[in-house]
Amino acid sequence: MSETIVKVNHMTKKFGDLLVLDDVSFDVKKGEFLCIVGPTGCGKTTFLNCITKLYEPTAGEILINDKPVNLKEDNIAYIFQEYSTMSWLTVEQNVAFGLEIKKKPKDFIKQEVDEVLEMVGLTKYRDYYPSELSTSMLQRVVIARAFAVKPQLLLMDEPYGQLDVELRFRLEDELLNLWRKTGTTVIFITHNIEEAVYLSQNILVLTNKPTTIKAKLENDLPFPRNVTSPEFIDIRSKVTDLIKWW
Amino acid sequence: MTGRNLKGISKYKKIYAAVISIFVFLCIWQLAVMFTDVGIVMVGPIEVIKLFFVSMVKPIGHDTIQMHIVWSLSRVMTGFVIGSALGVVLGILMGWFRPMNALFRPIYEIIRPIPPIAWIPLSIVWFGIGEPSKYFIIFLAAFSAITMNAFAGVRAVDPELIGAARMLGANNRQVFTTIVLPSCVPHIFAGLQIAIGSSWATVVAAEMVRASQGVGWVIIRGQDSNSTVQIMVGIVAVGIVGFALAVLMRWIEAKLCAWNVRGR
Amino acid sequence: MSKEMIICDNVSKTFETSRGDVNVIGNVSLTVNENELLVLFGPGQCGKSTLLNCMSGLERVTTGSVTINGRTIDSPGPDRGVVYQRTALFPWLTVMGNVEYGPKVRGMSKSERREKAQYYINLVGLEGFENSYPNQLSGGMQQRVGIARAYCNEPDVLFMDEPFGHLDAQTRYLMQEDLIKIWEKEKRTVVFVTNNIEEAVYLADRIAVLTNCPTTVKTEYEINLPRPRDYIDPEFLRLREEISSVVDKAL
Repeated sequence: MSETIVKVNHMTKKFGDLLVLDDVSFDVKKGEFLCIVGPTGCGKTTFLNCITKLYEPTAGEILINDKPVNLKEDNIAYIFQEYSTMSWLTVEQNVAFGLEIKKKPKDFIKQEVDEVLEMVGLTKYRDYYPSELSTSMLQRVVIARAFAVKPQLLLMDEPYGQLDVELRFRLEDELLNLWRKTGTTVIFITHNIEEAVYLSQNILVLTNKPTTIKAKLENDLPFPRNVTSPEFIDIRSKVTDLIKWW
Repeated sequence: MTGRNLKGISKYKKIYAAVISIFVFLCIWQLAVMFTDVGIVMVGPIEVIKLFFVSMVKPIGHDTIQMHIVWSLSRVMTGFVIGSALGVVLGILMGWFRPMNALFRPIYEIIRPIPPIAWIPLSIVWFGIGEPSKYFIIFLAAFSAITMNAFAGVRAVDPELIGAARMLGANNRQVFTTIVLPSCVPHIFAGLQIAIGSSWATVVAAEMVRASQGVGWVIIRGQDSNSTVQIMVGIVAVGIVGFALAVLMRWIEAKLCAWNVRGR
Repeated sequence: MSKEMIICDNVSKTFETSRGDVNVIGNVSLTVNENELLVLFGPGQCGKSTLLNCMSGLERVTTGSVTINGRTIDSPGPDRGVVYQRTALFPWLTVMGNVEYGPKVRGMSKSERREKAQYYINLVGLEGFENSYPNQLSGGMQQRVGIARAYCNEPDVLFMDEPFGHLDAQTRYLMQEDLIKIWEKEKRTVVFVTNNIEEAVYLADRIAVLTNCPTTVKTEYEINLPRPRDYIDPEFLRLREEISSVVDKAL
């Protein structure tokens, strides 16, 4: 379990003279659930875009399994806030999409899709179109699509930011379940401190721009966690104090 | 995100790319004319550009090329201004007052699909071969695009904004003047943009049918006198002015609608 | 006993749609006291906003009645202010133009309304942004403009329809804290709609928990925690848990 899968070395990003990311280094272990939190307006989007290679970092490198990130070879899945399903495809086709792009054999796709649909409880809805589903169902389709490709790394950018709290809690629990079952490595970016403490094994706290790492906190509370327990509140306050600007 | 990114990087690169692409196009054209059979039916860009500049001092017919452009522009502006003014008024009235819509919509829908140049013969019968017949055709070209857009603009006003204004105490008249009118300005500009384009296209067509000056006349005169170069000079003038008009409209829109993302 | 400001008496609302009638509000009777901050809390797509619109006069009730200060409400009016989730700011007006809009359409003189607008712009912390357009402001600042605009008409009642729903968690904390500060300085009767339980407990004098469609009032809670409240105070968290457990699950 201690094998390092992602290694970020001295990642720096400048836009012209504007320094946005300043010498960021961290490791993610295989199977780890890492949450990244920072103050509003910190360079978290730039941060993410560097990892996903939308931007080329000005300096530094990102290694996956000791090799520079290669989006063609490395199996990385993303879930963003503006989660999108393809409206002209059924639930099943949506979930199979990533596997089909990777040109996997038909029966393999069928098997994988069946399995992941079962895990998120969408088997009954496999032939529905996205427009026929509720928000929570859509979220599950997006999650299923990400997990279907059995990613080495799953990047999530504030996926539950706009949801009802109740629904968020439920989806967070489902995410934790999937994570435990599949052993996927997850990097989860959020503004919500409680969410970060609820989900993560490790918390990376970012500073305001130019973004650096302020602290890395270990969070070894046992699952399932109780947001009202003193230990939980203790970690939550610690993170809040590191971030608080309001 | 990606779009913003592209826009940010390439302001100068875009101009750069445009210059290169035009230059390469001209080179290929010139080479094709010099070394292939294309030369039989077409003249090269160097000749065209040369005549273009020559015609700025030496008249084609009675006027220099810039005077021809001015002639065409003055026709466009007359028709365009009247057409836009009436189009904006009718479009907004149709959008805001349902009876107006019920009354005018059917007539408008029938007239709209008729291309303005189809009216040329009739307009000559009605207004003679002078300027008014050309104004009339351009008026039609501008009018129909703008009416449609002004109408759509009124219909697209966010009902929540109207609700907010009423909640703050605005009466019907105030809702119309302070919410509906400003809301549809971006739509009207989109309409003006289309209208100026189609007006310009229409004036060229009208001048090709009946005129003794203007860029359309330059083209048709070139045909009559078997001068391919002169035809090309006319076409180049049409292209440059059409492009300049579009840029000008966008610039005015950006100035007047700073609050709107479309204007950016 | 404080004065009863808003009285919803057996309010119901049915929308006629192409697929038949949809009953959005069941049968709601609710009283809001003067200068009270009442939170309407309920799951996802239930009729919270519709109920709020019925109270503000933007929508008409199908049966029952809403009265404010004894006057029956059946149309919009400037004695009620609304703050919207999607801000509903007028994009072609500056911050000043938006905030002074209400007094302006009601015919107040320029110098008078400018002074008043300036006061409320300062109150929400937007000094120096008077001449900015809404699209030049961040989400949180836009919502401040919305609050100032609603306040500037000096309404008896303020209706807030999930105003912080689109903001990130941290900006949201800031806005909640500031809203309470503003409200304590300029007390008004406020009806605040949210689907965020943390926000509800932080803000409310009283929480009315609504059911899913058709919306009815499931139960009410008086929140007597002293202000400023602490999001991680044990009693705060206990209330939060208790109220969450009562609410219907969103689909």
